[in-house]
Amino acid sequence: MAAAQQLDQARPRARPQTERRMKRRELWLALAFIVPGIALAVLFKLVPLIRGFHLSLLETQGFEEPSFAGLENYRTMLDDPVFIGSFRNAAVAFATLPIWVLLPLVLAVLIFQRSPGWKFFRATFFLPYMIAPIVVGIMFRQILAPDGPLNALLRAIGLAPLAIAWLNGPNSALLSLTAVALWSFFGLGVLTYLSGLATISEDIIEAARLDGAGFWSLLLRIVMPLLKPVIGYWTVLCTSGILIWMFPLIYALTKGGPGNATTLPEYLVFTTTFQFMNRGLGAAIGMALFVFVAIVSAFVVRRMYAEGKAS
Amino acid sequence: MNSSSSRKGGIGRHLAATAFSFLGAAALVAPLAPAAHAADVTTIKVLNWEPGGAEYWKQLVAAFEKANPDIKVELETVPFDRYPEVQGPYIATKSGPDVMENNAGLELYDRRSAYAELPADVLEAGKELITYSGGCLNFDTSKSCYGLPFGYQGNVMYYNKKVLAEAGLDPANPPKTWDEMDAACAKIKSVGKTCLALGLSGIFPAYWDFPEVARNYLTEDDMRAMLTGDMPWTDPKMVNILKGLASITQKGWANASAPSITMLPDGADLFQSGNAAFAGTIISDAVNWAAFDKALGAENVGAMRWPTLVADAPLAGSFSGIESSVFGVSSWSDKKDAAFRFVKFMAGPENAELLTKVAGGISLYKNVDPSALPNSPALSQILEIIKKPTLHAGVILSGQEADALARGWQEVTLGQLSIEDWTARMQKALEQSPSKRKK
Repeated sequence: MAAAQQLDQARPRARPQTERRMKRRELWLALAFIVPGIALAVLFKLVPLIRGFHLSLLETQGFEEPSFAGLENYRTMLDDPVFIGSFRNAAVAFATLPIWVLLPLVLAVLIFQRSPGWKFFRATFFLPYMIAPIVVGIMFRQILAPDGPLNALLRAIGLAPLAIAWLNGPNSALLSLTAVALWSFFGLGVLTYLSGLATISEDIIEAARLDGAGFWSLLLRIVMPLLKPVIGYWTVLCTSGILIWMFPLIYALTKGGPGNATTLPEYLVFTTTFQFMNRGLGAAIGMALFVFVAIVSAFVVRRMYAEGKAS
Repeated sequence: MNSSSSRKGGIGRHLAATAFSFLGAAALVAPLAPAAHAADVTTIKVLNWEPGGAEYWKQLVAAFEKANPDIKVELETVPFDRYPEVQGPYIATKSGPDVMENNAGLELYDRRSAYAELPADVLEAGKELITYSGGCLNFDTSKSCYGLPFGYQGNVMYYNKKVLAEAGLDPANPPKTWDEMDAACAKIKSVGKTCLALGLSGIFPAYWDFPEVARNYLTEDDMRAMLTGDMPWTDPKMVNILKGLASITQKGWANASAPSITMLPDGADLFQSGNAAFAGTIISDAVNWAAFDKALGAENVGAMRWPTLVADAPLAGSFSGIESSVFGVSSWSDKKDAAFRFVKFMAGPENAELLTKVAGGISLYKNVDPSALPNSPALSQILEIIKKPTLHAGVILSGQEADALARGWQEVTLGQLSIEDWTARMQKALEQSPSKRKK
């Protein structure tokens, strides 16, 4: 009896202790999961970013000792028409984003619907993504040459007026570059959408078909609303692809030319830093690119989040 | 249980015996294996663009390693037009190769903090060369020197005699003036061939084309003024050079793809395919008479000075010559002794013979046996042309100027840029050049 009383008295004290221990364990567990991620982000994202910003405040022309220059690099950058042109080029390339998002979606739905030859196309569409971008660039430099195979084909099928010097024109060069990048990248989009489509119930599709939905109706009214989070994810990937992953293609295909027609900010960072050895100015352009991509990506992610929450 | 442990013990003993016999055999063989010397061998990394070709470099490395068994050479070979972009990060991070290659002149001077100064014994090797000033500050051997050259380099224009004959031109008398070239190009185009194989992407226009037009307007003093940043691009002489370059493409001498292709390999390929009559390249290293002889047949290849724009210009009949690339030791290398031995070997007699015999190059070493040179009409013409050398205006351009020159020429060719705007861009590039800008 006395023992039972003792136990009853001890109970209210033991419970908070156990709870505290549990909470402490959870806290440690949570920290064990979070800290490595935070440490990696700080080490590989935040520190380089801060160092980059610091470098952008230094004058580092050639091999002279760096000296503090304040915002001079930013002033030089904003006065440079090549810098302005590179962002204009980035904006033009970015304007093609809807094609980057929609083309793989249409193709994915066609494959998902088991259209004739779907197995072949599923494999073929992904192949370009497997080729190294630098190789893609070298390949297309030959294909798009004025006397290259593409123009030879156009002339052979009676479309001679379309056989232009693809890489020579200021607009055609940038659009050719973007098209080559899209060719190289879209296979991943098809695969991403196919993964998303696999989560849509067959019953919904079947029901829509029974209700008389055609391809476009199915795509616009059923598939797209259900795939919004996947479309959002792919849009973010494409945004970064267009703005910061084009370097190998520019390098192999056009070197930023003719003139600076295909110079995108990331390529300008590279030439300024490593070809002209002006690391301070290169870092300033890099910071501008970071801010630009961050704003665009934040907008896209915000839209995606809002759409996801709404759905 | 007992039997099992006994069996295990038996297997263990067997394994131990086998292991010991392997160890014993290894101990016997070890003195014969090269691995035993690994600790005594210093490996140096050499960043290069393979001037002279792969076979030449294979034989060069083999000869050096034979002469220096305690050094092993590891090559990092990068295409010429991509070299600055690969070398730049190494310099920026002060890490990487022990030996590096750069063009003699301003390209090397701009990067001099990445190089160790040549010690006296290495400089002695330079005195056996016809010249080595391109490896020294401001082309002055009394100042600090950072690298030694090994071959002679410069620009000529090659021509395909077969194409000239096809167009009704005399292959023995190729055009000597700008007007004659224009007339020749009209005839060549009429037989469906490209007149001048040209690629304007990358740094080739600055090194291979610019000096040949510049000789028509500049004196050697003008070139020295360019080197120190005292010759503005707004000077009428410099503007005339830009006009001369522009006229090449505006007159329709070049292939339509010129603005978007590089001279090496694309432009050279066009000439080597037999579809172009002329190509302005260099006398040795990358795309020389030997490569063209091999592709087109030695009997079809000729070499000449570029046609002149101003016949009575002091340097119009000269050869834009320069020590070819120079090799120096990186300032961060912790294997400087071995690295300097490689630099010295590059400038020595053994390499001079290899360069001539294997790469068809033209060595700077004073005592090369002329009979060692291959029999080639183009080479014979080159040996005559180089007898009257002058400074090479291309290696005097800064990286910024070389880049602005190529991009501007592309846009001028496409009708997107005026000569005035090109001039302004060149002037801006000059003002941004670290070694030339006035503070």
